[in-house]
Amino acid sequence: MRPLKLVAAMLAFASVACAAELTDCHLVPGWQQAGPTREFVADNLFEYMDGNAEGYLIYGFVRMQGVTCKSGGDSIVIDVSEMTDPDAAYGIFAANRDPNQPMAAIGTGGQILPRRGTFCKDRYYVELAADPDKDHTPALKAFVAEMERRISGRTTLPDALAWFPADKLVSVRLVPESVLGLRLLKRGYVAQYESGKAFVVAEASAESASAVMAKLRERFGATTPAKVADEAFQVKDQYLGGLCFFRKGRYLGGFANLPDAQDGASLATALAARIP
Amino acid sequence: MKTNSTRREFLAVGLSLPVAAMASTTEVVDRTAEPTRTLSSASSAKLSYRTIGKTGLKVTTVGFGCMITSDASVIERAADLGVNYFDTARGYQHGNNERMVGAALKRKRNDIFISTKTPSENKQSALNDLDTSLRELGTDHVDIWYLHGKDSADQVKDELIEAQQIAKQQGKIRFAGLSTHTPKVLIPILIQKGTFDAVLVTYNFTMDKGVDEAIEQAAKAGMGVVGMKVMAGGFRKVKPSDPLAPKLKREGAMLAALKWVLKSPNVQTTIPSMTDMEQLDENLKAMAEPYSPVEEKLLARQLEYISPLYCRMCGKCQGTCAKGLPVADILRYLTYADGYGQFSLGREEFLALPSEVTEVRCSGCSTCTVNCPFGVKVAKRLTRAQELFA
Repeated sequence: MRPLKLVAAMLAFASVACAAELTDCHLVPGWQQAGPTREFVADNLFEYMDGNAEGYLIYGFVRMQGVTCKSGGDSIVIDVSEMTDPDAAYGIFAANRDPNQPMAAIGTGGQILPRRGTFCKDRYYVELAADPDKDHTPALKAFVAEMERRISGRTTLPDALAWFPADKLVSVRLVPESVLGLRLLKRGYVAQYESGKAFVVAEASAESASAVMAKLRERFGATTPAKVADEAFQVKDQYLGGLCFFRKGRYLGGFANLPDAQDGASLATALAARIP
Repeated sequence: MKTNSTRREFLAVGLSLPVAAMASTTEVVDRTAEPTRTLSSASSAKLSYRTIGKTGLKVTTVGFGCMITSDASVIERAADLGVNYFDTARGYQHGNNERMVGAALKRKRNDIFISTKTPSENKQSALNDLDTSLRELGTDHVDIWYLHGKDSADQVKDELIEAQQIAKQQGKIRFAGLSTHTPKVLIPILIQKGTFDAVLVTYNFTMDKGVDEAIEQAAKAGMGVVGMKVMAGGFRKVKPSDPLAPKLKREGAMLAALKWVLKSPNVQTTIPSMTDMEQLDENLKAMAEPYSPVEEKLLARQLEYISPLYCRMCGKCQGTCAKGLPVADILRYLTYADGYGQFSLGREEFLALPSEVTEVRCSGCSTCTVNCPFGVKVAKRLTRAQELFA
C-alpha cells in the first residue's frame, strides 16, 4: 500500500501546483490579485459555496482553489475545482452551463457569457464570474485562454455523449445519482431531445444490468416486451410518460417522456446500435 | 462521559417538546380516502400542515429541497402527492435548477408555494436576480424570496432589505426571508430589523440547545422558521465511498432525523433535498408516523457514532492544548484522510504546520487538557493524526 500512497501524494502535490498556476491574476496583463487565495475541500466547501456545496459534492468534488482578480473597478472571481475524473468535470460543467447559450471551443467544453466564463478540461472545472454588470467578454476570454493552455490532459468528451442520436438533440448531462428519478438507475447520461429524453447507464456487468432490468419490470408492473438489443420492455408511466428500457451487455438505456410508448422501441433501437 | 450524558439529555429535551403546543399548530390530513393516487405506498401518506409565521402560507411540514433533484418527474410527483412547498435558488446550477422546478410545477403553480434565493450583495443585482428567477421559474411571483446564505450581521445590508421591500411592492414576491447557517447570531438581528417574514435555518439533531432557543425567539416574534440541512451535517458529508457510510446512513436514520426536526413546534416546514422517487416516499412518512422511542435511540447512536469522529469546528478547543496544538486544524486534516480518502491532502496540510507542532506526540502527555463539548475524543484522534501523517 505504501507505494500507492506515495503515488497518490505525488499526484496530489502535482495537482496543487497546477491549480496554483491556474489561479494567477497575472495571467492577463493589468490584473492584480485582491485578497488571499481561497482553498476548500469537500469538508469545508459549504463555507464558501454557502447553500450550493451539495451541487458540487454530488459530482465528485475533490478540492477548489480560487482568487479574486481586480483591474481598475472590475473584478473577476476565479474558482478552479478539481473533480474525481474528467467525466465528473464535464458533468458539473454541463449541469451548470446555460443550455440556451452557445458553447465555446475551450477544453472539453466551455461557455463565455458577458459576466461569466466556464470550462472544463481533464478533471478541472473552471468558473469565472465578473463584476460589475457589463460585458466582460474580452477579459474572460483572455483569462480562459491562458488557463486552458496550462491544463494538460483529456479534452475529449465522455464516450457516452457520442452514443445519443444527434437528430433533435438539445443537451446532454451527467446525472450523478438516480437517473430519471429512479434509484435503480444509479449514474448515467441523460440526453434531452425536443420531445422526450434518452439515457444510458453503465452497470458493472451484464449480469448486474440484467438484475436491474428485472427490478425495473417489477417496479413498473404491466410492461410490454420489446425487441431491442439483449432485452427490452415498454411501459407507460404517469410522470415519465412513454418509456422504453433496453439492456445491451452491461449498459442500460432507453427513452422516456415520449408522447407515445410505441415510438420508444424504434428510438431505442437507434440508440442501442450506437452503444459498443 | 459527561458530554455523552449531555447529548442524551439534549435528545431527551428534544423528545419532550410540548406535544400539546405542536398539536395546536399542526393540522394532519389523511389522504388515504382520496382516489387516483399513483405508484406507491406514499400515495396513502398523511400530510401535516403548519402556517409559516404570520404569512398565512399553510404548508406541508415536509417540503421539497430541489437543489440536487435528478429529474423533474420527482418534483411533479411530490406536488401530486400533496407536498406544497418547494425550494430552489438562483445559484443552483446557475439557474438550471429554477428552470427545472418551474417546468415541473407549471400546471400546479396555483396550488403550491415556491421559494427561491438571491446571493447578490447589492440592491440592483438582487432585483436583477429576482427578474431572472421569475423568468426561469415561469411565474410572476415567488412566495418567499430569501437573501441567500447570510451568516453575519454585516451581510444583512439595508440595501438588500430595500430590494425585498421594492419586490414586495411590485408584487414579485409575497414574503421576505433570509437563509443562514448561524441562526443563533442572525435571528436576533432579523427580529430587530423587523422586515423578515421567514428565516431558513440549518436545524438538525446534532445541534446544541442554543439553536432551539434562537428559533423559539423567531417563532415568538412571529417570524416563520423553515428548516434546512435537516438530515444533519454528519450525513450530508458522508459519501458512498466512505467506509463509515453504512453505519452513518443506516436504515431509518434519515427518516428519524427528519422526524426529529418536525417535533419542534417552532419549525413550520423543512426542505430535505430529494434526489429520487424513493427518497420522496421515505420522507413523506415523516408526516404520517410519529417520532418513536426506537428512532430516538437510533439518533442517539448516530450522535454517539459521529461525535467521537467529527469535529464541528466550533473553535472552543482553541488555545486549550497544553502543547499548543491547533486541535481543530489537525482534526480537519484527519477528516480529509479518514472521511474522504484524501490521505495525501491531509498529510500535506499537516506537514505544512510548524515543526514544533508536527513533532508533538500526544502519547507524551499523561492527561489531555482539551475537552470537546461535542464529545470528540481529541487525544485519540490527534494521536491517530500523528501516527498517520508525521
